[in-house]
Order: sequence, then C-alpha cells, then structure tokens
Amino acid sequence: MLSLDFLDDVRRMNKRQLYYQVLNFGMIVSSALMIWKGLMVITGSESPIVVVLSGSMEPAFHRGDLLFLTNRVEDPIRVGEIVVFRIEGREIPIVHRVLKIHEKQNGHIKFLTKGDNNAVDDRGLYKQGQHWLEKKDVVGRARGLFISDIIRRTDQSRTGIVSYRYKEVWNTALIY
Amino acid sequence: MAATASQGGRSGGGGGSSGAGGGPSCGTSSSRSGLLDKWKIDDKPVKIDKWDGSAVKNSLDDSAKKVLLEKYKYVENFGLIDGRLTICTISCFFAIVALIWDYMHPFPESKPVLALCVISYFVMMGILTIYTSYKEKSIFLVAHRKDPTGMDPDDIWQLSSSLKRFDDKYTLKLTFISGRTKQQREAEFTKSIAKFFDHSGTLVMDAYEPEISRLHDSLATERKIK
Repeated sequence: MLSLDFLDDVRRMNKRQLYYQVLNFGMIVSSALMIWKGLMVITGSESPIVVVLSGSMEPAFHRGDLLFLTNRVEDPIRVGEIVVFRIEGREIPIVHRVLKIHEKQNGHIKFLTKGDNNAVDDRGLYKQGQHWLEKKDVVGRARGLFISDIIRRTDQSRTGIVSYRYKEVWNTALIY
Repeated sequence: MAATASQGGRSGGGGGSSGAGGGPSCGTSSSRSGLLDKWKIDDKPVKIDKWDGSAVKNSLDDSAKKVLLEKYKYVENFGLIDGRLTICTISCFFAIVALIWDYMHPFPESKPVLALCVISYFVMMGILTIYTSYKEKSIFLVAHRKDPTGMDPDDIWQLSSSLKRFDDKYTLKLTFISGRTKQQREAEFTKSIAKFFDHSGTLVMDAYEPEISRLHDSLATERKIK
C-alpha cells in the first residue's frame, strides 16, 4: 500500500471522528445557505443582493457595485424609483429607473423603465410584443449600495467632491 | 440519541466478529479485513507538525485515550459525542429540507417553510453552543470501569484537556466519579508539550505514558485507602 503520510490523520480517526469532520463541513455550507435563505425571507426578494453588471445606470451605479434589495408588497412603485426586474425568459435581472406608470383603480400597475445612461427606454429589451412591465416582474427595490471601487472614482473626480443623489438609497457603504 | 449509540455498538461488534472469522472463510472477506488492517495505523508512532497547536492537542488527547482504554481496559462511553453529532445532524437536516423545498416550490410560495427552517437552524446552533460550553466542556473521553462483581454501578473516568493558542503548556485533567458513593475526585498536570515530543514532531509514548499512569494511580489509590 502506498505510504501517504498526509493521510495519517485521517487513518487515525475512528468512525465518529470522520463523521464529525463531514458534519463540520456540512455545517459551514449550511450556515452560508441559511443566512442567504434568511435574507430572502426577511427582504421578501428572491435575490436580496445583486451585482451591477453594466454601466447603464452611471453615474449612480457603476459596474461591480453591490445592491441590497427589498421587495415589500405594500411599497408602491412610483416614477423615479430604481427597480430591479427580470424579463420573462431571461435569467439576469436588470437595474433601471421607472419612467412612466399606468395605474388602474384596483391598484394594478404597468410601468416603463429606462437606464440613466441609456439613450432610449427599455422597450427594446422587453419580450417580443411586450410594451410594459408589471409588478410580478419586479425582483426588488434598491435599498442600499456597496461601492467597490471608490479609489478609482475619487481619483476621477480630482476637481472636487462629487455628490450622488439617489432617490431610494437609504445608506451608502464605502469601502476601500 | 440512544438509537445512534446502540447502532454504533452493533457495528463495532460486527467488525470484531468479521476479524475473528477471517481465517476459515473464503478469500474475499479475509482480503477485505486485511485492507482495513493496513488502513488502520494504530501501532505507527504518531508524527505531527509540532508547530500546529490543534494537531498537537489532538495527538496528546488521542494518546491519553489509548492509554486509558488499552492499558486499564476501560470501556468508552459515547454519550456526550453522540449528543453533539445528533444536534449537528438535525441542523444539517433542516438546511437540506430548506434547500429541497425551495427548489420544488419557487420562492414566494416557500416563504413559511423557509422561515421555519432558518429559525430552527439558528435555534439548533444556539443549542449546540450551549451544549458544547456547559455539558461537554473540554471533556474528550468518558470511560467506564465495569465492576468485576457486577453488583455495583460503574465507576466513571473523565478526561479533559486544554492547550491555549500559541502556548506550550498542556493541561490534562482526570476526573474519577465513584459509582457507589457518587463522589468526584480530580487530578491534573500541566506540562510543556516539549517534554513529550521530539524535535521531528513524533510523540514519545515512553515519556507520556508514565504521566497518565501516575495521574490514574493517584486517584485509584485514594479510593483503596478510603
């Protein structure tokens, strides 16, 4: 039999100790999983933390920023709000601002979105024949921002402090 | 907890009998037990990285366990360890249930079940922390000495140890609980780990074993005097 010295620790373990090692690994994975599912339950959104992938919302959100979302049913969608929505048939959610809203008496809403940095609205991105989005497409509302490249941004604004005004962002976390 | 303990006992008994019956039975079973023997290295001297604190503590604990179980022929009681394993298994079970339920019924419908699983998981984590801090403390061995006359309840020997981080002083505490009088007596020693390991990281049993025996005998003789 090969003399694999690094396996000596494993060979010296009895059944219980081996099972405990397996359980230990399982508990680490479970803790991460439970924290994620717990965030899903608390925020009500299926994806409580998302990464901004494109530059269509500059100068508010840059690529690589983390957004913390909530999806409370009682929050009304108003013009000017930043929503994260998913188009039917596409997996990746999109972060854009609400441009127009049509609202019925019973509270049913149809809305149109556009990225701040885009020239046109999102009708080109929607499904074939779809002109409006509905509440069910919404994954969540952006509530918090985590900027990940603050050094690059402060370097670009050498002439002074650039202030960003977001309508719906409550807290901004800056990290180096 | 009782079910898992009895299962562990049954599989241990089955392993023992297969080793004994290896001779006359056919070649396949004897080669399987031979492979298992080659896998187990109980007789090989223990060699670990002498700078790794947790490896040092584990090897000292395991060797103390071996001395107590093999030299004095005590029987190990797995109750404490089984309790911890059960709590961990239940926690992982809740996590797996949450994962599968969320996969079968996509998010908004699975909210109540998810909430229940997440809360149960963290409650189990709390129970585990309380269990390890208060019930288990740093005890790694509970051994019974079966009374030879079979009339009195067993005497219980408990081993617990501590080795602080980046420290070289290892404390081993032996507790004796008499079956008859339910009295508890303790003895401990604190020594530098340098006394037990040589420069390459091999545990020298000739230096370690007398310490354990001395602890044991100091508690055992007191009993005889009483």
